[in-house]
Amino acid sequence: MPIKLMAASRRRPGLTRADYFRYIEHFHGTIARNERLKISSYIQNHVIDGAFGTLADATHQQVCDREAVVEIYFDNFPDMLRTLEPETPSDASQDGRFFADECTNIIVMAEEEEIPVPNPKPAFNPGLGIMGSVGAFKVLQYIMRDDEVYREDYYRRWREAHEAAMEKSPYAREQMRRCVANKRCRINDNDAAARKHFKMVDPPVYDMVVSMWFDTAEQAGAFRQYNDVLQAWPTPFANWSKSFFLYTRAVPIIRDTPKS
Amino acid sequence: MSEGALKVKEIPELSVQLNYKQWYASTKVKAERPPLTEQEKARPFAKYYRDPVPADPEKLAIMDRPCDPAKAIYPEQMNDLLNPGYLDVEVGWCNLPNGAGFIANCYQYEGVTADMIDWWFAWHTLEDLRYRIWYPPQHAGLMISPDTRKRMLDPNIPMREKNWGAIHHVTENCDCGMENIDINFMSPKDFGFDMTRFKEPFASTFAGGFGWACSVDKNDQSITAPALMCHIFRTIPGGLEHRTRFWLGYRMSGGKPELSLPPGVSVPASSVQGLARHNVKEFKNFSVLLPEIYKELGGRMEC
Repeated sequence: MPIKLMAASRRRPGLTRADYFRYIEHFHGTIARNERLKISSYIQNHVIDGAFGTLADATHQQVCDREAVVEIYFDNFPDMLRTLEPETPSDASQDGRFFADECTNIIVMAEEEEIPVPNPKPAFNPGLGIMGSVGAFKVLQYIMRDDEVYREDYYRRWREAHEAAMEKSPYAREQMRRCVANKRCRINDNDAAARKHFKMVDPPVYDMVVSMWFDTAEQAGAFRQYNDVLQAWPTPFANWSKSFFLYTRAVPIIRDTPKS
Repeated sequence: MSEGALKVKEIPELSVQLNYKQWYASTKVKAERPPLTEQEKARPFAKYYRDPVPADPEKLAIMDRPCDPAKAIYPEQMNDLLNPGYLDVEVGWCNLPNGAGFIANCYQYEGVTADMIDWWFAWHTLEDLRYRIWYPPQHAGLMISPDTRKRMLDPNIPMREKNWGAIHHVTENCDCGMENIDINFMSPKDFGFDMTRFKEPFASTFAGGFGWACSVDKNDQSITAPALMCHIFRTIPGGLEHRTRFWLGYRMSGGKPELSLPPGVSVPASSVQGLARHNVKEFKNFSVLLPEIYKELGGRMEC
Protein backbone atom coordinates (compact mmCIF):
# COMPACT_ATOMS: atom_id res chain seq x y z
CA MET A 1 0.00 0.00 0.00
CA PRO A 2 1.34 3.46 -0.80
CA ILE A 3 2.71 5.50 2.03
CA LYS A 4 3.20 9.23 1.97
CA LEU A 5 5.02 11.95 3.78
CA MET A 6 3.17 15.15 4.56
CA ALA A 7 5.41 18.05 5.50
CA ALA A 8 3.93 21.34 6.65
CA SER A 9 6.30 24.28 6.59
CA ARG A 10 6.27 28.03 7.06
CA ARG A 11 8.44 30.53 5.24
CA ARG A 12 11.91 31.38 6.48
CA PRO A 13 12.53 34.83 7.94
CA GLY A 14 12.83 37.55 5.32
CA LEU A 15 10.63 35.95 2.65
CA THR A 16 7.25 37.17 1.52
CA ARG A 17 4.58 34.58 0.87
CA ALA A 18 5.01 35.23 -2.85
CA ASP A 19 8.77 34.63 -2.55
CA TYR A 20 8.09 31.37 -0.74
CA PHE A 21 5.52 30.09 -3.24
CA ARG A 22 7.69 31.02 -6.21
CA TYR A 23 10.66 29.22 -4.73
CA ILE A 24 8.92 26.08 -3.52
CA GLU A 25 7.01 25.53 -6.76
CA HIS A 26 9.53 26.53 -9.40
CA PHE A 27 12.90 25.82 -7.77
CA HIS A 28 12.28 23.15 -5.16
CA GLY A 29 9.69 21.47 -7.35
CA THR A 30 12.14 21.35 -10.25
CA ILE A 31 14.79 19.78 -8.05
CA ALA A 32 12.30 17.08 -7.07
CA ARG A 33 11.48 16.40 -10.72
CA ASN A 34 15.16 16.25 -11.63
CA GLU A 35 15.99 14.06 -8.66
CA ARG A 36 12.89 11.93 -8.46
CA LEU A 37 14.52 8.86 -6.88
CA LYS A 38 11.66 6.62 -5.69
CA ILE A 39 8.93 9.28 -5.48
CA SER A 40 5.72 8.03 -7.04
CA SER A 41 3.92 11.37 -6.89
CA TYR A 42 4.40 14.76 -5.29
CA ILE A 43 1.76 17.39 -4.59
CA GLN A 44 2.34 20.79 -3.04
CA ASN A 45 -0.63 22.35 -1.26
CA HIS A 46 -0.17 26.12 -1.15
CA VAL A 47 -1.97 27.71 1.77
CA ILE A 48 -4.57 30.38 1.04
CA ASP A 49 -5.88 30.79 4.58
CA GLY A 50 -6.39 28.82 7.76
CA ALA A 51 -7.06 28.94 11.48
CA PHE A 52 -5.16 27.59 14.47
CA GLY A 53 -6.76 26.65 17.79
CA THR A 54 -10.21 27.82 18.84
CA LEU A 55 -12.02 31.04 19.64
CA ALA A 56 -11.92 30.03 23.30
CA ASP A 57 -8.12 30.15 23.41
CA ALA A 58 -6.65 33.33 24.90
CA THR A 59 -3.55 32.98 22.75
CA HIS A 60 -2.03 30.56 20.28
CA GLN A 61 -0.53 27.48 21.85
CA GLN A 62 1.98 26.76 19.11
CA VAL A 63 3.49 28.05 15.88
CA CYS A 64 0.48 29.38 14.03
CA ASP A 65 1.40 29.97 10.44
CA ARG A 66 1.92 27.55 7.59
CA GLU A 67 2.60 28.35 3.97
CA ALA A 68 2.44 24.90 2.40
CA VAL A 69 1.96 21.22 2.99
CA VAL A 70 3.81 18.94 0.60
CA GLU A 71 2.61 15.39 0.07
CA ILE A 72 5.22 12.98 -1.27
CA TYR A 73 3.96 9.52 -2.17
CA PHE A 74 5.97 6.29 -2.27
CA ASP A 75 5.00 2.76 -3.22
CA ASN A 76 6.28 1.41 0.09
CA PHE A 77 8.31 2.25 3.19
CA PRO A 78 11.73 1.09 1.89
CA ASP A 79 11.28 3.34 -1.17
CA MET A 80 10.59 6.25 1.16
CA LEU A 81 13.81 5.65 3.04
CA ARG A 82 15.79 5.21 -0.17
CA THR A 83 14.61 8.68 -1.19
CA LEU A 84 14.99 10.43 2.14
CA GLU A 85 18.34 8.85 2.95
CA PRO A 86 20.17 8.23 -0.32
CA GLU A 87 23.80 7.18 -0.20
CA THR A 88 24.84 10.72 -1.09
CA PRO A 89 22.70 13.56 0.31
CA SER A 90 20.04 14.66 -2.17
CA ASP A 91 19.80 18.21 -3.46
CA ALA A 92 16.23 18.36 -2.16
CA SER A 93 17.36 17.69 1.40
CA GLN A 94 19.81 20.62 1.15
CA ASP A 95 17.32 23.00 -0.46
CA GLY A 96 14.70 23.40 2.28
CA ARG A 97 16.68 26.02 4.16
CA PHE A 98 16.32 28.43 1.25
CA PHE A 99 12.57 28.78 1.72
CA ALA A 100 11.43 27.09 4.96
CA ASP A 101 11.87 27.77 8.66
CA GLU A 102 12.98 24.17 8.91
CA CYS A 103 13.08 23.63 12.67
CA THR A 104 9.31 24.27 12.84
CA ASN A 105 8.36 21.80 10.10
CA ILE A 106 5.69 19.25 10.99
CA ILE A 107 5.78 15.92 9.25
CA VAL A 108 3.27 13.10 9.24
CA MET A 109 4.08 9.78 7.62
CA ALA A 110 0.63 8.57 6.70
CA GLU A 111 -1.46 5.90 5.09
CA GLU A 112 -4.62 7.03 3.35
CA GLU A 113 -8.13 5.87 4.11
CA GLU A 114 -10.80 7.01 1.70
CA ILE A 115 -13.94 8.16 3.53
CA PRO A 116 -17.01 8.00 1.26
CA VAL A 117 -18.89 11.23 0.65
CA PRO A 118 -22.52 11.42 -0.47
CA ASN A 119 -21.98 13.76 -3.44
CA PRO A 120 -18.59 13.17 -5.12
CA LYS A 121 -19.85 14.69 -8.39
CA PRO A 122 -20.90 18.32 -8.68
CA ALA A 123 -24.55 18.77 -9.61
CA PHE A 124 -23.64 21.62 -11.94
CA ASN A 125 -20.10 22.02 -13.17
CA PRO A 126 -19.78 22.70 -16.89
CA GLY A 127 -16.78 20.98 -18.41
CA LEU A 128 -16.12 18.76 -15.43
CA GLY A 129 -19.48 17.05 -15.29
CA ILE A 130 -18.07 13.57 -15.74
CA MET A 131 -15.47 13.92 -13.01
CA GLY A 132 -15.97 12.91 -9.41
CA SER A 133 -13.89 13.11 -6.24
CA VAL A 134 -12.03 16.20 -7.36
CA GLY A 135 -12.12 19.84 -6.38
CA ALA A 136 -10.02 22.94 -6.79
CA PHE A 137 -10.27 23.79 -3.11
CA LYS A 138 -8.62 21.46 -0.62
CA VAL A 139 -8.87 21.72 3.14
CA LEU A 140 -6.24 20.03 5.28
CA GLN A 141 -7.30 19.57 8.88
CA TYR A 142 -4.58 18.62 11.39
CA ILE A 143 -6.36 17.08 14.38
CA MET A 144 -4.27 16.76 17.52
CA ARG A 145 -5.27 13.72 19.58
CA ASP A 146 -6.39 14.43 23.13
CA ASP A 147 -3.44 12.99 25.03
CA GLU A 148 -5.75 11.11 27.39
CA VAL A 149 -7.44 9.25 24.53
CA TYR A 150 -6.08 6.03 23.07
CA ARG A 151 -5.28 6.17 19.36
CA GLU A 152 -7.86 3.52 18.50
CA ASP A 153 -10.59 5.42 20.33
CA TYR A 154 -9.45 8.69 18.74
CA TYR A 155 -9.87 7.26 15.24
CA ARG A 156 -13.17 5.61 16.08
CA ARG A 157 -14.57 8.73 17.74
CA TRP A 158 -13.40 11.01 14.96
CA ARG A 159 -15.26 8.80 12.47
CA GLU A 160 -18.41 8.97 14.58
CA ALA A 161 -18.04 12.73 14.91
CA HIS A 162 -17.38 13.06 11.17
CA GLU A 163 -20.49 11.07 10.27
CA ALA A 164 -22.57 13.15 12.68
CA ALA A 165 -21.09 16.37 11.32
CA MET A 166 -21.93 15.32 7.76
CA GLU A 167 -25.43 14.44 8.84
CA LYS A 168 -25.98 17.77 10.58
CA SER A 169 -24.27 19.95 7.95
CA PRO A 170 -26.40 19.97 4.80
CA TYR A 171 -24.09 22.40 3.02
CA ALA A 172 -21.02 20.18 3.64
CA ARG A 173 -22.98 17.05 2.74
CA GLU A 174 -23.89 18.63 -0.57
CA GLN A 175 -20.51 20.16 -1.36
CA MET A 176 -17.76 17.87 -0.05
CA ARG A 177 -16.43 16.03 -3.10
CA ARG A 178 -13.84 13.85 -1.46
CA CYS A 179 -12.55 13.05 2.02
CA VAL A 180 -9.36 11.19 2.92
CA ALA A 181 -8.21 10.37 6.44
CA ASN A 182 -4.42 10.39 6.48
CA LYS A 183 -3.59 8.23 9.47
CA ARG A 184 -0.15 8.40 10.95
CA CYS A 185 1.77 5.19 10.44
CA ARG A 186 3.32 3.75 13.61
CA ILE A 187 6.52 3.22 11.68
CA ASN A 188 6.72 7.00 12.01
CA ASP A 189 7.15 6.76 15.82
CA ASN A 190 10.86 7.10 15.32
CA ASP A 191 11.08 9.32 12.31
CA ALA A 192 14.82 9.84 12.41
CA ALA A 193 15.13 9.88 8.61
CA ALA A 194 12.33 12.37 8.19
CA ARG A 195 13.63 14.56 10.98
CA LYS A 196 17.04 14.53 9.37
CA HIS A 197 15.62 15.36 5.95
CA PHE A 198 13.23 18.06 7.19
CA LYS A 199 15.48 19.38 10.02
CA MET A 200 12.73 19.51 12.64
CA VAL A 201 13.24 20.12 16.35
CA ASP A 202 10.68 18.66 18.81
CA PRO A 203 7.79 18.78 16.36
CA PRO A 204 4.22 18.30 17.56
CA VAL A 205 2.88 14.85 16.70
CA TYR A 206 -0.37 14.58 14.77
CA ASP A 207 -2.01 11.16 14.49
CA MET A 208 -4.27 12.25 11.65
CA VAL A 209 -4.66 14.85 8.95
CA VAL A 210 -7.97 14.90 7.10
CA SER A 211 -8.04 16.11 3.49
CA MET A 212 -11.32 17.41 2.11
CA TRP A 213 -12.02 18.64 -1.40
CA PHE A 214 -14.62 21.17 -2.50
CA ASP A 215 -15.30 22.64 -5.93
CA THR A 216 -13.98 26.15 -5.27
CA ALA A 217 -13.01 28.45 -2.41
CA GLU A 218 -16.59 29.71 -2.48
CA GLN A 219 -17.53 26.53 -0.61
CA ALA A 220 -15.29 27.27 2.39
CA GLY A 221 -18.47 27.87 4.38
CA ALA A 222 -19.42 24.23 3.88
CA PHE A 223 -16.29 23.18 5.72
CA ARG A 224 -16.93 25.70 8.50
CA GLN A 225 -20.44 24.36 8.99
CA TYR A 226 -19.05 20.81 9.19
CA ASN A 227 -16.20 21.86 11.49
CA ASP A 228 -18.51 23.54 13.99
CA VAL A 229 -20.42 20.30 14.48
CA LEU A 230 -17.23 18.21 14.53
CA GLN A 231 -15.70 20.30 17.32
CA ALA A 232 -18.92 20.21 19.34
CA TRP A 233 -18.94 16.38 19.39
CA PRO A 234 -19.51 15.41 23.04
CA THR A 235 -17.16 12.41 23.23
CA PRO A 236 -13.60 13.71 23.60
CA PHE A 237 -11.03 12.76 21.01
CA ALA A 238 -9.19 15.93 19.99
CA ASN A 239 -7.26 18.79 21.50
CA TRP A 240 -8.77 21.53 19.36
CA SER A 241 -6.46 24.18 20.81
CA LYS A 242 -3.55 22.40 19.14
CA SER A 243 -5.43 21.54 15.98
CA PHE A 244 -5.61 23.62 12.83
CA PHE A 245 -7.01 23.70 9.35
CA LEU A 246 -5.61 25.09 6.13
CA TYR A 247 -7.37 26.16 2.95
CA THR A 248 -5.10 25.23 0.10
CA ARG A 249 -4.61 25.08 -3.64
CA ALA A 250 -3.04 21.83 -4.80
CA VAL A 251 -0.07 22.17 -7.16
CA PRO A 252 0.99 18.86 -8.73
CA ILE A 253 4.77 18.63 -9.05
CA ILE A 254 5.01 14.97 -10.03
CA ARG A 255 1.87 13.14 -11.04
CA ASP A 256 2.04 10.50 -13.74
CA THR A 257 -0.94 9.61 -15.85
CA PRO A 258 -2.43 6.52 -14.18
CA LYS A 259 -1.72 3.27 -16.02
CA SER A 260 -5.11 1.88 -16.89
CA MET B 1 -20.97 10.39 44.54
CA SER B 2 -23.32 9.53 41.70
CA GLU B 3 -24.88 6.13 41.26
CA GLY B 4 -22.85 5.65 38.09
CA ALA B 5 -19.60 6.37 39.91
CA LEU B 6 -20.48 3.90 42.64
CA LYS B 7 -21.14 1.24 40.06
CA VAL B 8 -17.76 1.88 38.44
CA LYS B 9 -16.03 1.63 41.79
CA GLU B 10 -17.72 -1.64 42.60
CA ILE B 11 -16.78 -3.44 39.40
CA PRO B 12 -13.03 -4.13 39.24
CA GLU B 13 -13.23 -4.74 35.50
CA LEU B 14 -14.18 -1.07 35.07
CA SER B 15 -12.39 0.63 37.94
CA VAL B 16 -8.94 -0.37 36.65
CA GLN B 17 -9.39 1.71 33.51
CA LEU B 18 -6.65 4.31 32.98
CA ASN B 19 -6.64 6.98 30.32
CA TYR B 20 -3.86 6.84 27.74
CA LYS B 21 -1.60 9.33 29.49
CA GLN B 22 -1.99 7.58 32.84
CA TRP B 23 -1.47 4.16 31.32
CA TYR B 24 1.66 5.15 29.44
CA ALA B 25 3.17 6.69 32.59
CA SER B 26 2.30 3.54 34.55
CA THR B 27 4.20 1.18 32.29
CA LYS B 28 7.61 2.04 33.72
CA VAL B 29 6.31 1.02 37.14
CA LYS B 30 4.62 -2.09 35.81
CA ALA B 31 7.82 -3.07 34.04
CA GLU B 32 9.41 -3.54 37.46
CA ARG B 33 6.78 -6.22 38.17
CA PRO B 34 5.81 -4.86 41.59
CA PRO B 35 4.24 -7.18 44.18
CA LEU B 36 0.48 -7.62 43.94
CA THR B 37 -1.61 -4.92 45.60
CA GLU B 38 -4.07 -5.82 48.36
CA GLN B 39 -6.92 -5.46 45.88
CA GLU B 40 -5.17 -7.80 43.46
CA LYS B 41 -4.49 -10.33 46.19
CA ALA B 42 -8.22 -10.39 46.88
CA ARG B 43 -9.13 -11.32 43.31
CA PRO B 44 -10.33 -14.90 42.81
CA PHE B 45 -7.57 -15.64 40.30
CA ALA B 46 -4.69 -14.26 42.41
CA LYS B 47 -3.69 -17.80 43.38
CA TYR B 48 -2.58 -18.39 39.80
CA TYR B 49 0.14 -15.77 40.24
CA ARG B 50 2.73 -18.40 40.99
CA ASP B 51 5.94 -19.92 39.70
CA PRO B 52 5.43 -21.01 36.11
CA VAL B 53 5.61 -24.56 34.87
CA PRO B 54 9.16 -25.07 33.49
CA ALA B 55 9.44 -24.79 29.72
CA ASP B 56 10.06 -27.84 27.59
CA PRO B 57 13.89 -28.21 27.46
CA GLU B 58 13.79 -29.90 24.05
CA LYS B 59 11.96 -26.97 22.51
CA LEU B 60 14.26 -24.48 24.17
CA ALA B 61 17.21 -26.42 22.78
CA ILE B 62 15.75 -26.18 19.26
CA MET B 63 15.58 -22.42 19.76
CA ASP B 64 19.31 -22.30 20.53
CA ARG B 65 20.17 -21.86 16.86
CA PRO B 66 18.32 -20.73 13.72
CA CYS B 67 16.49 -23.12 11.44
CA ASP B 68 17.00 -23.34 7.67
CA PRO B 69 15.35 -20.21 6.17
CA ALA B 70 14.56 -22.19 3.01
CA LYS B 71 12.10 -24.22 5.06
CA ALA B 72 10.34 -21.25 6.62
CA ILE B 73 7.18 -19.67 5.22
CA TYR B 74 6.44 -16.02 4.46
CA PRO B 75 3.25 -14.33 5.64
CA GLU B 76 1.87 -14.50 2.12
CA GLN B 77 1.93 -18.30 2.58
CA MET B 78 -0.12 -18.29 5.78
CA ASN B 79 -2.84 -20.39 4.15
CA ASP B 80 -0.39 -23.30 4.12
CA LEU B 81 -1.27 -23.54 7.79
CA LEU B 82 -4.70 -24.76 6.70
CA ASN B 83 -3.23 -27.78 4.92
CA PRO B 84 -3.54 -31.15 6.64
CA GLY B 85 -0.43 -32.34 8.44
CA TYR B 86 2.59 -30.25 9.25
CA LEU B 87 4.93 -27.80 7.54
CA ASP B 88 8.69 -28.17 7.30
CA VAL B 89 9.32 -25.99 10.33
CA GLU B 90 6.90 -26.29 13.23
CA VAL B 91 9.38 -25.31 15.93
CA GLY B 92 12.22 -22.91 15.13
CA TRP B 93 13.26 -19.41 14.18
CA CYS B 94 15.48 -17.69 11.63
CA ASN B 95 16.05 -14.54 9.62
CA LEU B 96 14.46 -14.73 6.19
CA PRO B 97 16.56 -13.65 3.18
CA ASN B 98 14.65 -10.34 3.08
CA GLY B 99 15.77 -9.55 6.64
CA ALA B 100 12.48 -10.35 8.38
CA GLY B 101 12.37 -12.59 11.44
CA PHE B 102 10.45 -15.87 11.38
CA ILE B 103 9.28 -17.93 14.35
CA ALA B 104 7.30 -21.17 14.47
CA ASN B 105 6.08 -23.10 17.45
CA CYS B 106 3.67 -25.96 17.99
CA TYR B 107 1.97 -27.27 21.12
CA GLN B 108 -0.61 -29.87 21.96
CA TYR B 109 -3.03 -28.96 24.75
CA GLU B 110 -4.83 -31.76 26.53
CA GLY B 111 -8.39 -30.99 27.60
CA VAL B 112 -8.48 -27.60 25.88
CA THR B 113 -11.18 -26.50 23.43
CA ALA B 114 -11.53 -23.61 20.99
CA ASP B 115 -14.16 -22.03 23.26
CA MET B 116 -11.61 -21.95 26.06
CA ILE B 117 -9.12 -20.17 23.81
CA ASP B 118 -11.71 -17.62 22.72
CA TRP B 119 -12.67 -16.96 26.33
CA TRP B 120 -9.07 -16.57 27.48
CA PHE B 121 -8.07 -14.08 24.81
CA ALA B 122 -11.04 -11.87 25.73
CA TRP B 123 -11.07 -12.44 29.51
CA HIS B 124 -7.41 -11.72 30.18
CA THR B 125 -7.61 -8.20 28.71
CA LEU B 126 -9.57 -6.73 31.59
CA GLU B 127 -6.95 -6.46 34.35
CA ASP B 128 -3.17 -6.44 34.65
CA LEU B 129 -3.25 -9.45 36.95
CA ARG B 130 -5.14 -11.55 34.43
CA TYR B 131 -2.27 -11.01 32.03
CA ARG B 132 0.43 -11.41 34.66
CA ILE B 133 -0.77 -14.89 35.71
CA TRP B 134 -0.22 -16.10 32.13
CA TYR B 135 3.54 -15.92 32.60
CA PRO B 136 4.49 -14.07 35.80
CA PRO B 137 8.24 -13.76 35.15
CA GLN B 138 7.81 -11.74 31.95
CA HIS B 139 4.22 -10.47 31.69
CA ALA B 140 3.97 -7.11 33.43
CA GLY B 141 0.61 -5.63 32.48
CA LEU B 142 -2.13 -5.08 29.94
CA MET B 143 -4.47 -2.18 29.25
CA ILE B 144 -7.28 -1.71 26.76
CA SER B 145 -8.99 1.54 25.84
CA PRO B 146 -12.36 2.53 27.32
CA ASP B 147 -14.14 1.85 24.02
CA THR B 148 -12.50 -1.58 23.72
CA ARG B 149 -13.45 -2.36 27.31
CA LYS B 150 -17.10 -1.68 26.48
CA ARG B 151 -16.78 -4.14 23.63
CA MET B 152 -15.16 -6.78 25.83
CA LEU B 153 -17.94 -6.46 28.41
CA ASP B 154 -20.76 -6.39 25.86
CA PRO B 155 -22.65 -9.68 26.32
CA ASN B 156 -24.07 -9.38 22.81
CA ILE B 157 -20.67 -9.79 21.18
CA PRO B 158 -19.64 -13.45 20.90
CA MET B 159 -16.50 -14.37 22.81
CA ARG B 160 -14.74 -15.30 19.57
CA GLU B 161 -15.35 -11.87 18.04
CA LYS B 162 -14.60 -9.64 21.02
CA ASN B 163 -10.98 -9.20 19.99
CA TRP B 164 -11.62 -8.50 16.32
CA GLY B 165 -10.41 -4.93 15.93
CA ALA B 166 -9.31 -4.67 19.58
CA ILE B 167 -5.88 -3.45 20.59
CA HIS B 168 -4.11 -4.92 23.62
CA HIS B 169 -1.50 -2.60 25.12
CA VAL B 170 0.79 -5.09 26.81
CA THR B 171 3.95 -4.58 28.81
CA GLU B 172 6.06 -7.65 28.32
CA ASN B 173 9.63 -8.90 28.24
CA CYS B 174 10.26 -11.11 25.23
CA ASP B 175 13.78 -11.97 26.42
CA CYS B 176 14.99 -8.60 25.10
CA GLY B 177 13.99 -6.22 27.89
CA MET B 178 10.60 -4.80 28.84
CA GLU B 179 8.62 -3.41 25.94
CA ASN B 180 5.25 -1.80 25.39
CA ILE B 181 3.60 -3.75 22.62
CA ASP B 182 0.36 -2.69 20.95
CA ILE B 183 -1.24 -5.80 19.51
CA ASN B 184 -3.96 -5.14 16.93
CA PHE B 185 -6.11 -8.26 16.92
CA MET B 186 -7.89 -9.15 13.71
CA SER B 187 -10.44 -11.66 12.47
CA PRO B 188 -8.90 -14.58 10.56
CA LYS B 189 -10.46 -13.14 7.39
CA ASP B 190 -8.91 -9.72 7.86
CA PHE B 191 -5.58 -11.32 8.73
CA GLY B 192 -5.60 -12.97 5.33
CA PHE B 193 -6.83 -16.51 5.80
CA ASP B 194 -8.89 -18.08 3.04
CA MET B 195 -12.19 -18.46 4.86
CA THR B 196 -13.41 -21.12 2.45
CA ARG B 197 -10.65 -23.30 3.92
CA PHE B 198 -10.70 -21.97 7.48
CA LYS B 199 -12.83 -24.71 9.02
CA GLU B 200 -12.71 -27.96 10.96
CA PRO B 201 -10.69 -30.10 11.08
CA PHE B 202 -7.98 -27.73 9.77
CA ALA B 203 -8.79 -24.67 11.86
CA SER B 204 -10.87 -24.32 15.00
CA THR B 205 -10.08 -20.79 16.07
CA PHE B 206 -7.51 -18.02 15.71
CA ALA B 207 -5.90 -15.27 17.75
CA GLY B 208 -3.61 -12.89 15.95
CA GLY B 209 -2.97 -9.66 14.15
CA PHE B 210 -0.11 -7.24 14.03
CA GLY B 211 1.87 -5.44 16.67
CA TRP B 212 4.19 -2.53 17.31
CA ALA B 213 6.83 -2.97 19.99
CA CYS B 214 8.95 -0.31 21.62
CA SER B 215 11.12 -0.30 24.71
CA VAL B 216 9.45 0.86 27.91
CA ASP B 217 12.49 3.11 28.21
CA LYS B 218 11.77 4.70 24.83
CA ASN B 219 14.01 7.52 23.71
CA ASP B 220 14.44 9.44 20.47
CA GLN B 221 16.60 6.68 19.00
CA SER B 222 14.29 3.80 19.94
CA ILE B 223 12.89 1.63 17.20
CA THR B 224 9.18 0.90 17.06
CA ALA B 225 9.24 -2.55 15.54
CA PRO B 226 6.37 -4.11 13.61
CA ALA B 227 5.48 -7.81 13.60
CA LEU B 228 2.68 -10.11 12.50
CA MET B 229 1.44 -12.63 15.05
CA CYS B 230 -0.52 -15.76 14.22
CA HIS B 231 -1.88 -18.29 16.70
CA ILE B 232 -4.01 -20.85 14.89
CA PHE B 233 -5.68 -23.77 16.65
CA ARG B 234 -7.06 -27.07 15.38
CA THR B 235 -8.81 -29.89 17.16
CA ILE B 236 -6.87 -33.08 17.89
CA PRO B 237 -8.00 -36.16 19.83
CA GLY B 238 -8.34 -35.14 23.46
CA GLY B 239 -7.61 -31.48 22.96
CA LEU B 240 -6.30 -28.76 20.74
CA GLU B 241 -3.16 -28.17 18.70
CA HIS B 242 -1.76 -24.67 18.70
CA ARG B 243 0.55 -23.52 15.92
CA THR B 244 2.28 -20.16 16.22
CA ARG B 245 3.96 -18.09 13.56
CA PHE B 246 5.55 -14.66 13.93
CA TRP B 247 6.93 -12.54 11.13
CA LEU B 248 9.01 -9.72 12.59
CA GLY B 249 9.63 -6.69 10.40
CA TYR B 250 6.25 -6.92 8.65
CA ARG B 251 3.25 -4.70 9.19
CA MET B 252 -0.29 -4.91 7.86
CA SER B 253 -0.80 -2.26 5.20
CA GLY B 254 -4.05 -1.96 3.31
CA GLY B 255 -5.06 -5.40 4.55
CA LYS B 256 -1.91 -7.12 3.35
CA PRO B 257 1.42 -8.00 4.96
CA GLU B 258 4.18 -5.63 3.88
CA LEU B 259 7.86 -5.85 4.70
CA SER B 260 8.63 -2.64 6.57
CA LEU B 261 12.35 -2.74 7.17
CA PRO B 262 14.74 -0.08 5.95
CA PRO B 263 16.69 -1.24 2.87
CA GLY B 264 19.50 -3.63 3.78
CA VAL B 265 18.41 -3.95 7.41
CA SER B 266 17.58 -7.24 9.14
CA VAL B 267 15.69 -7.81 12.35
CA PRO B 268 18.40 -8.54 14.95
CA ALA B 269 18.73 -12.29 15.43
CA SER B 270 18.72 -11.77 19.20
CA SER B 271 15.22 -10.25 18.99
CA VAL B 272 13.90 -13.14 16.89
CA GLN B 273 15.46 -15.75 19.15
CA GLY B 274 14.31 -13.88 22.26
CA LEU B 275 10.68 -13.91 21.20
CA ALA B 276 10.97 -17.57 20.15
CA ARG B 277 12.26 -18.54 23.59
CA HIS B 278 9.67 -16.41 25.36
CA ASN B 279 6.96 -18.04 23.29
CA VAL B 280 8.06 -21.53 24.34
CA LYS B 281 8.00 -20.50 27.99
CA GLU B 282 4.72 -18.56 28.10
CA PHE B 283 2.69 -21.17 26.27
CA LYS B 284 4.01 -24.05 28.35
CA ASN B 285 2.64 -22.32 31.41
CA PHE B 286 -0.53 -21.46 29.50
CA SER B 287 -1.12 -25.16 28.70
CA VAL B 288 -1.43 -25.91 32.41
CA LEU B 289 -3.09 -22.65 33.49
CA LEU B 290 -5.92 -22.54 30.96
CA PRO B 291 -7.77 -25.79 31.76
CA GLU B 292 -7.45 -25.05 35.46
CA ILE B 293 -8.71 -21.47 35.40
CA TYR B 294 -11.40 -22.15 32.83
CA LYS B 295 -12.88 -24.80 35.08
CA GLU B 296 -13.18 -22.22 37.84
CA LEU B 297 -14.00 -18.99 36.00
CA GLY B 298 -14.51 -19.86 32.36
CA GLY B 299 -17.25 -18.57 30.10
CA ARG B 300 -17.85 -15.24 31.83
CA MET B 301 -15.97 -11.97 31.71
CA GLU B 302 -16.63 -10.56 35.17
CA CYS B 303 -15.30 -12.05 38.39
